[in-house]
Amino acid sequence: MGSDEIAIEFKNVSKKYKLYRSDKHRFLGIFSAKVPFKEVYANRDLNFTIKRGESVAVMGKNGAGKSTMLKMITGVVFPSEGEVIVNGRVSALLELTAGFDPEFTGRENVALRGQIWGLEKAEIADLEQKVVDFADIGEYIDQPMRTYSSGMKARVGFAISAHINPEILVVDEALSVGDKAFREKCDRKVREIMEKEHVTVIFVTHSSGAAESICNRGLVLKKGKLVFDGGVSEAIDFYEGPRDRSKPFDDVHITDV
Amino acid sequence: MFRKIQQRLHAAAESTRRHWETVLHIIKEHREYRIQILQLANADILKTYRGSALGWMWAIIKPSVTIFVYWFAFTIGLRAAKPVNGFPFFLWLVAGIVPWFYMSEMLTQGSKTLNRYNYLVTKIKFPVSTISTFVSLSKLYVHLALVAVVVAIFVLFGYPVDVYFLQLPVYVGLMFVFFTIWSLLAGPLSAVSKDFANTVSSLVTAIFWMSGIMWDANKIDNPILHRVLLFNPVTFFATGYRNVFIYKRWFFEDQFALFAFILVLVGMFALSIYTYDKLRREIADVL
Repeated sequence: MGSDEIAIEFKNVSKKYKLYRSDKHRFLGIFSAKVPFKEVYANRDLNFTIKRGESVAVMGKNGAGKSTMLKMITGVVFPSEGEVIVNGRVSALLELTAGFDPEFTGRENVALRGQIWGLEKAEIADLEQKVVDFADIGEYIDQPMRTYSSGMKARVGFAISAHINPEILVVDEALSVGDKAFREKCDRKVREIMEKEHVTVIFVTHSSGAAESICNRGLVLKKGKLVFDGGVSEAIDFYEGPRDRSKPFDDVHITDV
Repeated sequence: MFRKIQQRLHAAAESTRRHWETVLHIIKEHREYRIQILQLANADILKTYRGSALGWMWAIIKPSVTIFVYWFAFTIGLRAAKPVNGFPFFLWLVAGIVPWFYMSEMLTQGSKTLNRYNYLVTKIKFPVSTISTFVSLSKLYVHLALVAVVVAIFVLFGYPVDVYFLQLPVYVGLMFVFFTIWSLLAGPLSAVSKDFANTVSSLVTAIFWMSGIMWDANKIDNPILHRVLLFNPVTFFATGYRNVFIYKRWFFEDQFALFAFILVLVGMFALSIYTYDKLRREIADVL
């Protein structure tokens, strides 16, 4: 699999968060370099290249820097050092309930998102229809999103992200999308997208089974650093090896909200 | 000693280059997202007046009530309402206060743009600099509707449109540019610091009374104080609108006022680029 075209490239990427004692200090820090702050690295010196069509599992404990890395791929967070190069339309199935304007209806939010992405009118109409069909929340689609339950928001969120023909798909396995039936529907949809030629997949996971069945490459993050990059089975061995002996609770994660 | 100066100069040149790049970057973002900016401005109006039975009527009702209150207080209560330049006090009041409605909206709402649209910053890849622009644009639409109403009122009172109205677009344009830049500066600062947002909203009433809206800045006797007051952009615009509607003066006639305004505009632009450059990459981390 995989062509020679580069989909994602991280060049010496570090992300540090500035921690100030308070918001007041953060404010003063804009105008003076003397205000003290601590720096915490979420990612440190990441270097890797992902080619178009590859599917990559990303593993790591909570706080290992997975989310920050993914946010840099989706383009909402900027690296502090180094360079992130992303070629292609990214669709992220991460925080499905976020990214909506609560004052607008579900349908309007779909149109708004389409506009933000710069779609044409016909494309937006098409997207709207697909989302309405897939989310399947009935009358609620024309109600303001502030009245939605988190399950309904997640349905709309998933439907939007899954129907924009992504070239790069970022999926968090611990996705909370409501009931079992809808979850299965989503799983099928994700697999359908993944099977398409030339779609690059970044799959964040804790379970070795899912990773092995979908991905062919694995990255393991630890304390913000890339500690393993290779075949997916080797990555799972690397990641799960020490975990079984020392911290049995790492396995627990919440999948439903 | 000499080396130190050389280093300083080098650092200054470097930061100037970076800030210039930021300016170019902002312009590029605006060009790429010009259609989205227009669409989001429409959506912003919709969002503002959505969910109330009277809807967009509030855009007219709120200013009307404010104007009535001031007219009542000055005419009936204080009995301080005298005709100005042959125009009734009511018209003088309307001409100066209409730009204020846009300015006060931009002072408060304009500094909360990133909080209002935090999902565009933290959840979706979107050029942050354009958020201020489309919010400002949405307020401008409302303002233009109000200006049309004001022109109609003047015509109804028997004061037809004359050649001085030609400079109305100049003032509208300058006001739009000034407060869009203000929002580009204040938006990120408010995102980082709640104190900043609160300071601004608590100062709005003070700014209203300290600016030449309810009084004529050109009637201040103390020459130094008069000049200082002209550095206030709110005064510049309130007086400017009255130049059009009441005083019948050209915007270039008071050169000191124009010069003072441009100085403040340039200063604020520099400051907004400085903070935007500093905060652009951090805003998503703190919002």
